[in-house]
Amino acid sequence: MDVVWFLVLSAFIFVIGAGGVLTRRNPLVVLLCLELMLNAGNLALIAFARMHGDGSGQIFALIVMVIAACEVVIGLGIIVAMYRNRLPIDIDEMSELRG
Amino acid sequence: MSATSFGWLVLVFPVVGLLITSLGWRALPGRSAGWIASAAILGSFLSAIGALVDMQDHPAEERHLVDSAWTYAATADLEVDLAILIDPLSVFMCLVVAGVSFLIHVYSVAYMGGDRGYARYFAYLNLFVFSMLLLVLAANFVLLIVGWAFVGAASYLLISFWYRRGTATAAGIKAFVMNVIGDVGLVIAAFLLLSETGQLDYLGVFEEAPEAFGRNDGTLVAACLLILVGAFAKSAQLPLHTWLPDAMEGPTPVSALIHAATMVTAGVYLIARCFPLFELAPTAADISAVVGTATLLMAASIALVVTDLKRVIAYSTMSQIGYMVLGVSVAAYGAGLFHLMTHAFFKALLFMGAGSVIGAMAGAQDMDRMGGFRKAMPFTFVTFTIGALALAGFPLMSGFFSKDEVLAFTIDRGGGYLVLGIVGYLAAALTAFYAFRMVFRVFFGEPVPEARELERGHVAHGEPMNPATGEPEDTDVGFPGPEHHVAERSGPMKAAMAPLALLAIVGGIVAVPGLTDTLEHFLEPTFEESRFHDTAPTEGAELIGLVIGAIISIASIGVAFLMYMRRRGITLELRDRFTAVHSFLSHKWYFDELYDAGFVRPMATAGSFGRRVVETDFVQGFIVGGSTGIVRAGTSFARAIQTGFLRAYALLLVLGLAGLVLYFLIASS
Amino acid sequence: MTVHLSIVLFAPLATGLLGAVLPRGWARWSVLAGTLVVLGYAMVMLADFESGAGGLQYATDDEWIGELGIRYQLGVDGLNLFMVVLTALAWVPCTLWAAIREHDRAKLYFFNLALGETAVLGAFMAQDLALFIVFFDLMLVPFYFLIGGWGTGDRVRATTKFVIYTLSGSLLMLAAAIALGVLSVPDGGELSFSLAELERRSIPEGSQHWIVLLFALAFFVKAPLFPLHGWVPETYRSTPIPVLALLSAVLSKVGVYGFLRIVLPVMPEGSQHWQELFIVIAVFSILYGSIVAFSQDNIRLVIAYSSIAQLGFIVLGIFALDDKGAQGAVFQMLNHGLVVVPLFLIVGVVALRSGGSESLRELGGMAVRAPVLAALFLITSFATLAMPGSPNFVGELLVLFGAFEDKLVYGLVASAGVVLAAVYMIRLFQGVMHNRLGPRAESSDLGGLELAAVAPLVAVVVALGIYPQFVVERSERATLEQIAAAKQHAESRSGPELSVSK
Repeated sequence: MDVVWFLVLSAFIFVIGAGGVLTRRNPLVVLLCLELMLNAGNLALIAFARMHGDGSGQIFALIVMVIAACEVVIGLGIIVAMYRNRLPIDIDEMSELRG
Repeated sequence: MSATSFGWLVLVFPVVGLLITSLGWRALPGRSAGWIASAAILGSFLSAIGALVDMQDHPAEERHLVDSAWTYAATADLEVDLAILIDPLSVFMCLVVAGVSFLIHVYSVAYMGGDRGYARYFAYLNLFVFSMLLLVLAANFVLLIVGWAFVGAASYLLISFWYRRGTATAAGIKAFVMNVIGDVGLVIAAFLLLSETGQLDYLGVFEEAPEAFGRNDGTLVAACLLILVGAFAKSAQLPLHTWLPDAMEGPTPVSALIHAATMVTAGVYLIARCFPLFELAPTAADISAVVGTATLLMAASIALVVTDLKRVIAYSTMSQIGYMVLGVSVAAYGAGLFHLMTHAFFKALLFMGAGSVIGAMAGAQDMDRMGGFRKAMPFTFVTFTIGALALAGFPLMSGFFSKDEVLAFTIDRGGGYLVLGIVGYLAAALTAFYAFRMVFRVFFGEPVPEARELERGHVAHGEPMNPATGEPEDTDVGFPGPEHHVAERSGPMKAAMAPLALLAIVGGIVAVPGLTDTLEHFLEPTFEESRFHDTAPTEGAELIGLVIGAIISIASIGVAFLMYMRRRGITLELRDRFTAVHSFLSHKWYFDELYDAGFVRPMATAGSFGRRVVETDFVQGFIVGGSTGIVRAGTSFARAIQTGFLRAYALLLVLGLAGLVLYFLIASS
Repeated sequence: MTVHLSIVLFAPLATGLLGAVLPRGWARWSVLAGTLVVLGYAMVMLADFESGAGGLQYATDDEWIGELGIRYQLGVDGLNLFMVVLTALAWVPCTLWAAIREHDRAKLYFFNLALGETAVLGAFMAQDLALFIVFFDLMLVPFYFLIGGWGTGDRVRATTKFVIYTLSGSLLMLAAAIALGVLSVPDGGELSFSLAELERRSIPEGSQHWIVLLFALAFFVKAPLFPLHGWVPETYRSTPIPVLALLSAVLSKVGVYGFLRIVLPVMPEGSQHWQELFIVIAVFSILYGSIVAFSQDNIRLVIAYSSIAQLGFIVLGIFALDDKGAQGAVFQMLNHGLVVVPLFLIVGVVALRSGGSESLRELGGMAVRAPVLAALFLITSFATLAMPGSPNFVGELLVLFGAFEDKLVYGLVASAGVVLAAVYMIRLFQGVMHNRLGPRAESSDLGGLELAAVAPLVAVVVALGIYPQFVVERSERATLEQIAAAKQHAESRSGPELSVSK
């Protein structure tokens, strides 16, 4: 199968993820969309790995997964902390880091 | 021991005295600090005699002995050694300085006896003597400048010795700054000499000078004028003289030592030392002669109206130094130095007498409050009068011969110098008058309460107050000492004054026209290169001069007698009739006011302008403000991007990414 | 190749780190021991120094960052020998002064002091431009923390200003240094920052002009000279006394030292190009610093502005491009440092006795029961105003002679600064020690340890006043070598030498 198909799929998933990050206000959904973007990247990496017949792309994808897991842990941790503090679960309200 | 070893000893003794008195001030009991300091100066004096004896053993043409201890600074084309020069001039100065200093040390042992800063006083005094001896023994210009500045520093310390008096510290800073102006003049002069002759040693410079400079060469005249700036600053000549009267804030023995007998004559020494330069630059020498004459006339005129006893003597000092400057500027080196010596004797004596009177007055210095001390203080009266006679040039006193020798040489040069000589005689009349104005007002007339008290046997004790301003003194630490001393009741003071009185009478014998020329002969090896070496007034001319001098002196004393003894009110009448003249004189020709308006206030204004305007508006406002403004503008832009709006960040990211992708697409196609 | 300089360089840092792990209260003695080690080493180097020999002694040369041609290159010659000695001499009393007092977070305080010494020594001993810059910027770190952490008054503002000023200078210098390295690479050659190598290479004259200017900006800020001294008033006001003494005595010298070590030998044409401008800045700093010092009320600021004037003299001496001038500048760098340390420590003593007041209006009359303090203050004041007989006089004399030689008018204007110095220093001395006792002042003499901190440096000053040739002799050869190229260039520009009014 041609690598282009994989890449097109990857691009679709990435754009869906990016659109979700940009439009959704619930942090949980934003996290989900981020995962989508990361996995789009993974798909592209594995596709290239297969195309080149080289294992390094797969290893890269594994590392991305690990990082994604870490990121989700931190992200969910923040959301839980916000929930405990009875803060609104809305990323537009979270602008403490304004310069 | 060789003459130069003696020369080093001359310097070592006061240093040892300084170290002992300054480091051991806590341990030294009673008056021992004073005696140790005096012994040190006596050691210097004896060493100077040693140097003299040894030097006289050398043939006349070899009496220029230079000895170097170590290299002081040598780099590039500059080479300066820590070296001393022993020649008749320096030995002569050493003898005068160390001799008079020793007597004043002895006087101070008693006079400063009750002062809390006793050891400090003698440490300063020894420092001063060391510096002065370094100044006269230095073999090159750099070391001269070192001694020159040290002398100024010691003078500063002693003027503001009673440092709780605002007037004393103000006088100190004035004197110091004027002296530093002189130092800077000397530094620049030294550079000019170095760049043209390649040397800084006296002997080297003087040897090279005739080849390096033409007669009245511009650079040389500039160098000589700068030397004169140094000399005039130290010797209180116009226009750098205003510090000297204020310097009378110091203890009276200090006035006697530094501001009469030794330091202020350093300028005269310097001009004499640099005579080969001045003879090559007669313009500078003439300027010097004119300034000396102007100073002697101005100072004598001010001395007529001043009522502060010490300040009268101070103006008299300026005036007498004017004679010396005139003398050495018209190539009458022997005469100028002769007057330097006799002046040291009688002026120190006058100050000592004044100190005794001020002691009897419990610190008051105003002549208006004095009178009738003749019976109460016979010893002071006699010695003071001897000093006044010598100052007035009374026949056969020491000042008589020396002053007239200066004037005789001046007149002998003829031409324009004749005017200078005539002004000199005119000022001599004023001198005799104000000298006896002091004597008559202080010792004659109705005895004041203090005089009566002293006759009954005890010294008056007034409220301690500042003699200049009259404000009460801060005495919690004993500055100045609570007790006062008069010569009549103090051995050391008498012991110091008696020899000076004797010298003030007979000091003239070293150069009586037609009879002796010891001094002239002794100094000859130093000045034999002088172009004017063989020119001297004829004996007949000198004798005529002496007669004129005697007549002027006696006549003026007579006028003073008439005005202050016979018709006492006449001075007040004169003052009322010539108010303008009186106020001109009593404002000291408005020099202080002029400098205040010309330098002090502009400086202060510039300072506060710098602080207020330049610092705030330019440095902080423009430079600091400008750069922080740029930084602030930049950061506020950066801050504007940080909205805290998460989705905005995400949008930027995506846009950036899209931009990158587009770029690569375009680039690859 | 010896390891000695590396030992000297890192001894303070090592003792600083050691102090950080030792129990509380030991840090100060550990760091003090470190400064004493440096002092001992410096004294041995001084005794061992061969004044006749040219070139670097105790040179260390190792590869550091090979790809960029940066080497770990240290060395001592007549030019920086006395800067190292000054650093060693200055750090001991200041550390002692700090050690006899209590501080919050003492370990950090003393660690910073130690780091500061290492950085300054590194900047003085570095023979590689990149290494110099590393240490030059490293100096900023400990001083940033020392001023910001232990300062008084509006210390945050002061620190911010200090850091922004010096950092922007440093950045310009960094850019200039990189440009210098890159532009000087000959065809087919390799990048090198070694100063000896840079001196051999030639840089196009047009580039030299702006590179020199960037270096000068950094050095003038550090010195500081008018009009780049905007950080001075606030920083001087809020810096703790021992730190301030070091800042004024040693850090200010690193900049002017950079001129002699880097700018003049590497870029003689560029230096000569700006000679006139730099002399004008120097002379203006002399006059301006003196006049403002004359009207200051805070005693620290009197000394601060007097330092601006003194640094003006040093820069005047350097850019007179004359043998005597450069000699005087090097000597004066040492002298100013030696004098300013006791002066600031005395200011500290005075402030302790006046309830923290440092205003001349509130001080006065302190000499009464403090003769030793008064005497030491007097000697340092006289030395600061360059009284003949002090080493500062010899330094200033040489500077002025150097300036007169070629730039007579500027020299004459500068000599007015000597008179002004007398005015403001005597005013300072009198304002503190003389006249009536100030309302908040009390008079008591130096304590034993205070005396131990102040007196030795005063003794060194007096000794140098008696035998200045000690320094002049040892520094002569290296100094003349450093300015030779620029001087030669200046002479070829002005044609046959003109002498005064012939």
